Amino acid sequence: MIRFILRRLLWGIPVLWVVATLTFILMQVVPGGPFDKDKPLPVEIKANVEAKYHLDKPVWQQYLFYLQALLQGDLGPSYKYLGRDVNDIIGDTLPVSLQLGLLSLLVAVMVGFVLGILAVVKPQSWIDRAGMIFVTAGISIPNFVIGALFILWLSHAYKLFPPALWEGWRHAILPALTLGLAPAAFIARLLRSSILEALHQDFVRTARAKGLGEGAILLKHVLKNSVTPVVTFLGPLTATLVTGSFIVEYIFAIPGMGKFFITAVTNRDYPLIMGVTLVYSAIIVLANLVVDIAYAYRDPRVRVE
Amino acid sequence: MKTIGIILAVLGIILVITLISWGPERSRLSSQESKIFRMNLGSEPPTLDWSLATDSVSITVIENIMEGLTRYDEKLQPNPAIAKRWEVSGDGKTYRFYLREDARWTDGHPVTAEDFEYSWKRLLDPKTAAEYAYFLYDIVNAYEYNTGQLKNAGQVGVKALGPWILEVNLKKPIVYFPSLTTFIVTFPQRRELIERYGEHWTDPDRLITNGPYRLKEWQHEYKVILEANGDYFDGRPQLDHVVMFVVNEPTTALTLYETGDLDMVRLPPEAITFYQHHLEYHRIPVLRGYYYGFNTTKVPFLDVRVRRAFSMAIDREELPRVLKGGEIPSTSWIPPGMFAYNPNIGLKFDPQGAKRLLAEAGYPEGKNFPAVTVVYDTNPINNLIAENLQAQWRRNLNVQVNLENQEWKVFLKRLKTDTPMIFRLGWGADYPDPDNFMVLFTTRSGNNNTHWSNLHYDELIANAASETDSKRRQQMYDETQRILTEQDVAIMPLFVATQNILIKPYVKGLQLNAMEILSLRDVHLTPRSRESIQ
Repeated sequence: MIRFILRRLLWGIPVLWVVATLTFILMQVVPGGPFDKDKPLPVEIKANVEAKYHLDKPVWQQYLFYLQALLQGDLGPSYKYLGRDVNDIIGDTLPVSLQLGLLSLLVAVMVGFVLGILAVVKPQSWIDRAGMIFVTAGISIPNFVIGALFILWLSHAYKLFPPALWEGWRHAILPALTLGLAPAAFIARLLRSSILEALHQDFVRTARAKGLGEGAILLKHVLKNSVTPVVTFLGPLTATLVTGSFIVEYIFAIPGMGKFFITAVTNRDYPLIMGVTLVYSAIIVLANLVVDIAYAYRDPRVRVE
Repeated sequence: MKTIGIILAVLGIILVITLISWGPERSRLSSQESKIFRMNLGSEPPTLDWSLATDSVSITVIENIMEGLTRYDEKLQPNPAIAKRWEVSGDGKTYRFYLREDARWTDGHPVTAEDFEYSWKRLLDPKTAAEYAYFLYDIVNAYEYNTGQLKNAGQVGVKALGPWILEVNLKKPIVYFPSLTTFIVTFPQRRELIERYGEHWTDPDRLITNGPYRLKEWQHEYKVILEANGDYFDGRPQLDHVVMFVVNEPTTALTLYETGDLDMVRLPPEAITFYQHHLEYHRIPVLRGYYYGFNTTKVPFLDVRVRRAFSMAIDREELPRVLKGGEIPSTSWIPPGMFAYNPNIGLKFDPQGAKRLLAEAGYPEGKNFPAVTVVYDTNPINNLIAENLQAQWRRNLNVQVNLENQEWKVFLKRLKTDTPMIFRLGWGADYPDPDNFMVLFTTRSGNNNTHWSNLHYDELIANAASETDSKRRQQMYDETQRILTEQDVAIMPLFVATQNILIKPYVKGLQLNAMEILSLRDVHLTPRSRESIQ
């Protein structure tokens, strides 16, 4: 098992290298640079600024500089937030996104499992239909609409929760719900179809023949054999949720990392773009590893392979 | 079942850890009781180093923690601040600033002329890579030092003659030079602080300032907290704290204003109509012009008659009706509130005259007019304006123009490499002098994207900067404005922008000016409770 984990971790290194290289190339291809502004800099001053960040060097040299620093764990200075390193920026914002992301993961899993299971207890009943209407809505309504509606109803009209800011746990409720509902709907949907499929398998018939109650069959046997797709989905979902969401952080004024996925690009803050992309990739690699370990742990067939 | 149990257990642990990590809910700040003023910055300040800051957010913070030689009064005239007075030599090229002796840094050190000399030379040092270094290019040897042609900073024309006198030598007389000393890049700095901490000298526990407030806390991406500086030479402000939140989304900021979590907010354009008759609504014109420029080297705009026709075919009164922000339509380029503003200049709306000019240029009734594209940066307001102008040109000239919007940086790149036939841009004043607006379109200006060049114009602009007789100066700017907007029509000025703001009625003493500088020095809160107002 340890060899398996180590091998997978080592595989992560070339993956990150490929991501870093592709991002670097894409950044160079996109028109516009970090120091292009509406009040253009005099040529001499632009030269000073570019020299400061080695942007006057050939691209291949910039790439080598970057990789060299990266190997030492240094993501470089931000071009937009002067005097701050990308390491500091991510260090300040990732914990906030992590906190919010984990809470929304909690919402997603709890709501998703409850709805998914309720739906199959009585397929085609009103509970099933109501649940599936919720699920369809959750998947199709974009989260900025959901967030705005939450603010309107729960904050503005009923004053149950603060509309924005990040001052304590009450401020996390609305953003966590906003962020968690769409994946909750997805999990419910996955679980429902997976359980319905499992219900027709032989071991269920055997269990029934042994005289087990429907509840025990569902919770003890069927569910165990139906969570695989959900676990697969949880890996990338966790990575996405804990690295923050641009929209939710914007709407709720949360100091997380998600907004940089957009603003770093619009600012052409090259080191910050690289930084958040690499952190995101590293978390995906880790999350997928955890998922694979969970597989191996649950399913002996995977371990043999 | 075991798997699900594990998942649930892990999630349960996460929940507990997350909740504990927050600690108890902080009580909501009640602004009157604790003398706290809460506002929105709109985005994270990129830096608090006043040699490097270039954006309005950083400037808003710095203006309230720092004080320079001079500061603006209500009429945007430079008034004494740390300089108690100044003298100009007979030839207008030497300024001598006399500093007050009671100004102190937050660590108790006096603010001296050496602090200014150090700061100005640091701004000009090529290693600092300051974008606003060109602000001081009129000083002797400043340009040469900043561009590396001169290595010795000692030859730059700024010098402390003892602790309380600062002497500045200019290459030529600049009548608005004292205005430049209101700007943050000219604020003093502490050499030992910067040499010791390098780029991190602006961290809250290290930063030493001299203004009405001091930096207490800077939670990146979230909020900046200032506290009153008891040692401020002009007396401690009445507020205890200022909390500046970083709320990026204007609608969210508006919601926070409505729920009483902010005391002041800038209105998003779509909310202006709803609030404009509200008692808390304030509209302030700003020195920020919005224009469409021509690429004067491309057919059909190579022909000045076509450029004139396009400008004359615009009824600018329609723009504030579309934008609803109280914008001031303008055919001239120098904005109202600035010296040499003259609303009579510029081509007025004249659809018949415009059609005639277009016919003279070979396009009667818009026939055979080539395909023309207006390019602008993606933004809802720019969209509204472009669509309105597109309709006006179709209506008044029978000409069809295409619209294209591009992401900001792509657009900027395009301006430089492949200038569109018509493009949109704006300009906000760095200092409230017409030179700042008019110098943009001189031949060598990096801001002149029109490829238009008029040597007579260039010469007049250069001379006007040194002209001390205000009547003659006014005439010179009138003439240059006529060249720019009537005779050669390199650009079509469209309107001057406004700030639309909501301020709670219990907030008094807030100074908002046309330079968009927000001074919180004299703010105080009346004791009426917020509840009685709502």
